[in-house]
Amino acid sequence: MSSAIRSELLKLRTTRTFLGIVIATLGLVALIAGAQAAADPFDAGATPGVDLLDVAGLAQPFALVLGILAVSTEFRHGTITPTLLTTPDRVRLMLAKLWAHGAAGVVLGVVAYGIAALLMAAILSARDISSGISAGDGLEMVLGGVACIALLAAIGVGVGAVVRNQVGAVIGGLAWMFMIEPLLAAIPNVGEWVEDYGIGGAITALSGSSFGGGADISQLAGGLLLVGYALLFAVAGVALLRRRDVSA
Amino acid sequence: MTATEAAIEVRGLSKRFGATLAVDDLSFSVERGRIVGFLGPNGAGKTTTLRALLGLVRPTAGTATIEGRAYAELEDPTGTVGTVLDGGMFHPGRSGRNHLRAIALAAGVATSRVDELLELVDLGDAADRRAGGYSLGMRQRLGLAAALLGDPRVLVLDEPANGLDPQGIRWLRDLLRSLAAEGRAVLVSSHVLAEVAQTVDEVVVIHRGRSIEQAPIGELLARRAGGVRVVGPQVARLAELLRADGADVQGDGDGSIVVADRSGEQVGRVIADNAIHISELASAGQTLEEVFFELTSDDLPAATETESAA
Repeated sequence: MSSAIRSELLKLRTTRTFLGIVIATLGLVALIAGAQAAADPFDAGATPGVDLLDVAGLAQPFALVLGILAVSTEFRHGTITPTLLTTPDRVRLMLAKLWAHGAAGVVLGVVAYGIAALLMAAILSARDISSGISAGDGLEMVLGGVACIALLAAIGVGVGAVVRNQVGAVIGGLAWMFMIEPLLAAIPNVGEWVEDYGIGGAITALSGSSFGGGADISQLAGGLLLVGYALLFAVAGVALLRRRDVSA
Repeated sequence: MTATEAAIEVRGLSKRFGATLAVDDLSFSVERGRIVGFLGPNGAGKTTTLRALLGLVRPTAGTATIEGRAYAELEDPTGTVGTVLDGGMFHPGRSGRNHLRAIALAAGVATSRVDELLELVDLGDAADRRAGGYSLGMRQRLGLAAALLGDPRVLVLDEPANGLDPQGIRWLRDLLRSLAAEGRAVLVSSHVLAEVAQTVDEVVVIHRGRSIEQAPIGELLARRAGGVRVVGPQVARLAELLRADGADVQGDGDGSIVVADRSGEQVGRVIADNAIHISELASAGQTLEEVFFELTSDDLPAATETESAA
């Protein structure tokens, strides 16, 4: 198993796409967190610490895309053939990809939250503004946020295995996150349920984000819900990988 | 694996894609130490058969096994079977060396083996360049390096000569010969008989997903290409005698016949023994291309069926 994970990690870091996604994510987080920390007036009653840490959550869609590329790129370039020849067990392959991309998500999340936290601490203290967040709450938010990014990468792996068309999977995944779920949430009755238990709701709960007015479920529940989504897509992806003919 | 077990065994294999029956009840086997050419025109079902053998395509019916097991059940797939398949098998942005390292890591093969193989296939200088910039020949050689990483006992190669220059083809031929001499089984597909005729021990010819022939290459060439043409006033009688002997004789109405499966000497003996007058006896002299074309032309499968039914 560990050999398959090491192979996936090598594959992950030996293309430019990976480097591009990491640089784009971290650059964006640094830019926005820095600008907001420096320029936001932070009215009374605001919690600058929560708002600034939240910026690291920008890594979430990038992690999702990174995960989606795990399998869809293999189909796009036909590398799925040598991959399956070396690791014919589809379950093993899927687990290796989940682990490798989950780990990449953890690293990406830790660095993103690290950048946001450093900029927050440095700029707020220079401006002599209180962060309004306790160390304990901050840690909880960072841990939840990092887990959230890792889980989105894992969800992406499953999505990319279900929808092998790379462009379709990436656009579909992002559209679901940013358009379709918010639209569904606007439907009366059904909407509330989607808002709480959809992927967006689970992300809000787990990452402790104040975005979208906060969550109605606990952080732990949000985390478990995201794990559930990751498993759902992973199982569907494995089932399809086993049934499909690989003739690319 | 026991000594009697075939390295590759395909039994009653069929694969349907929608309305198309790509492979139709195909059976053949490859023994250890043998190079078997898997021949057929483009679209004959070669690639589908090889992909079914490698667990990439699910057969509609039948089995395809390596050393008696389905590919997915092999304990050490990379150490058992080496494969080169047609088409893009590389990420264009990844270097050749990293491509091989990823396979070596997953297969538990020492990374020192990667450098060894890069040298063997003469890619040492290009190993750290992105594979997307490789020529077709370089890609084929990188594919061969990947196939040989695990020092496999069985090789499955789909059109490995594609894109190789004449030196490359000769190099490949020598490589396959030495691999077979070490006791490995090699199944190599091609749509050009002449390309593999000098390399293979046996051929399996398929057309429209069905097996037309499995025979030692020498036998096939002798039988199909060694035809003898006889012209003369009494060829009808000669044809009668030869047919009585079980020979494949064609045409006798216009004073000339072609004997497909007898040598000139054999026909000459019948002529002498029976004091038949002839005016001309010559080798029909088909080229390899003609043999292959005849085997896989659309008219022939029916003819072959009648032949075997008769």
